[in-house]
Amino acid sequence: MLFFAYPMVESLQLALRREGQFLNLRVEPVEDAAVAGTVAMQTELSVLERQRLEETLPNGRTRPIYWFEVETVDAAGETIRGWVSQSNVFIESRTESTSARVVSGEASQEWTLDFIRRMFNDFRFSSALGTTILLIVLIIPLQFVLAIIMALVLQSQIRGSNLFLYIYAIPLGISDLASGIVWYSIFTQRGFINSFLVSAGLRDTPFIFIQADNHGWMITAIVLAEVWRATSIVMVIVVSGLQAIPRDYIEAGEVFGANLWQRLWHIILPLLKPSLQVALILRTILAFQVFAVVIAITGGNIVTVLANETYRWYDPARFNSPNVAAVYAGFIMLLSLGISLFYLRAVRSQEEAAKAL
Amino acid sequence: MNQTTGVITSLSQQEFQAQHRRSRMRHTMRRGGIYLLAIGLAVWILLPIVLIGSMAFSTPADVRAFPKQIIPDPISGETMNFFLNTEGILRATGNSIVVAVLALLISTVLAVPAGYAIARYLFRGRDLIRLGILSVRAFPIVVLAVPLAVVFIQLGMFDQVYSLALMHAALTLPTTILVVASVFTSVPYELEEAALVFGCTRLQAFWRIVLPLSIPGIAASAILTFVLSWNEVFAAILLTITNRTLPAQILYTLDKSGDPFKFAGGFFMLVPSLIFIFFIRRYLFSMWGQLNK
Repeated sequence: MLFFAYPMVESLQLALRREGQFLNLRVEPVEDAAVAGTVAMQTELSVLERQRLEETLPNGRTRPIYWFEVETVDAAGETIRGWVSQSNVFIESRTESTSARVVSGEASQEWTLDFIRRMFNDFRFSSALGTTILLIVLIIPLQFVLAIIMALVLQSQIRGSNLFLYIYAIPLGISDLASGIVWYSIFTQRGFINSFLVSAGLRDTPFIFIQADNHGWMITAIVLAEVWRATSIVMVIVVSGLQAIPRDYIEAGEVFGANLWQRLWHIILPLLKPSLQVALILRTILAFQVFAVVIAITGGNIVTVLANETYRWYDPARFNSPNVAAVYAGFIMLLSLGISLFYLRAVRSQEEAAKAL
Repeated sequence: MNQTTGVITSLSQQEFQAQHRRSRMRHTMRRGGIYLLAIGLAVWILLPIVLIGSMAFSTPADVRAFPKQIIPDPISGETMNFFLNTEGILRATGNSIVVAVLALLISTVLAVPAGYAIARYLFRGRDLIRLGILSVRAFPIVVLAVPLAVVFIQLGMFDQVYSLALMHAALTLPTTILVVASVFTSVPYELEEAALVFGCTRLQAFWRIVLPLSIPGIAASAILTFVLSWNEVFAAILLTITNRTLPAQILYTLDKSGDPFKFAGGFFMLVPSLIFIFFIRRYLFSMWGQLNK
């Protein structure tokens, strides 16, 4: 548990705190004298007085060090006065200049909403959020229909159902990156669909599915890749849910003349609800993490998703800002949590409504 | 009178036979429909794998050719060879295997006692622990990876194979614990009791009776851990720079590499899953069925 809790605290810190620097003005020209006031970096100071002191170096030698009495206006708008050492300011001439600028000080941490603002203001944020939600809305219903069909086929006790089970379960072990590459090979300009279209004489030149103004086709390719890869897990959950339904119920339906559709709608699906709920939550959480598929098929620049943005902001070779990446991660976390709670709520309230009736 | 009844009976018999024939035909047709559906779904799953496989075993020239052939002609290991000899790939494969094996060992060694405790003992907070384990199971990798990368940098564990293995182990541990617990639950307690009666200690009873009976199930969950770690790319690309695992390495060089490299890499990555899923197919339901409870 600690393994998960500690990074979460760290994540909050990354998202909400910023490392800053400030400089303390001292009442006397001594390093650990009382603080007279605090100024931010790059503040302009006017020098009132200067004092030349000796500083002892580690090797025993001494060198001159200047302290300046300065006056400036602090963040609150008040005029403050105090001593600063030459090591913390930029000054053209130690003996002549009458103005200086603060360049270093002590490390501090402050709470900030800047990183959150940066995420929301990023021009790719809304497109990433939109695409992620669009993908979820398109992929999940398709997956559930396909998974229920697969499960019913497996449960109908046909010969070779063991072989079919194995085949349907293969994608469980396929990574999203591999699946992305597989579907890239199908949809790319010189890919299999175009090979088919051109060989069959349906088109003279290959159709370019994956390009900037073909948003629809890129989304289609991603949806197919995800449905292909991630339906198996829903299938397995649905099958184990089906196995728990007593056969008597379904047979009773048959005896009373319910056809396949009626049996499915009125008997099987209601009893399958808990399994479907689990699968739905799991799939939605995983859908927020869609990442490598998008990069493999589209390159991740034109079509982007939240997880991809997280990586882009983190990547030392690009934005190199773990802070904004942590904000993205937290945002994904909140969305997943919110949707899970919503599912749990929605299903429960339906049951309660049914009970009340 | 007698004649009329006879006519009626023979008529209804004919009708009955016709109806019987019709229903049998409908039955056969429905069976046929189910088979057709089953085969159609199998083709949907298998066709893309066959396509990428055929690309991986074509010559690089054929991979770039248009239109593409579905069956490689000639079959050649050149593309595969080119992929494997690309700089960094063998090393990344080695890293991937080390990470996956370490993750498998850590998560199995921790999951066996935890699973046994959940399966055999009633203790306070057991349900809470089950719930906690499940909620961790649903924890997004994306959320965890960024702060963990920063923590690892602070601790000096960044870019290490073992820290990535730790991360993968932590991610798969919850599932492994639940699966192992269900495997232990399926071993009858009477066997253990009998061993205790005959003078075994608890540990001996576990070691000699329970463990041998549960090995296949534990192995299945270990294989699943291996596959998950082998496939995991987001945490891998964030937590490593020089010690990249195979998926991270391929993803990182994806936009700079040509189609032969991509296709061979894609096929190479999905081969283990073909093999491993075959071995654990029997245990799939006891694994994921756990999530329903």
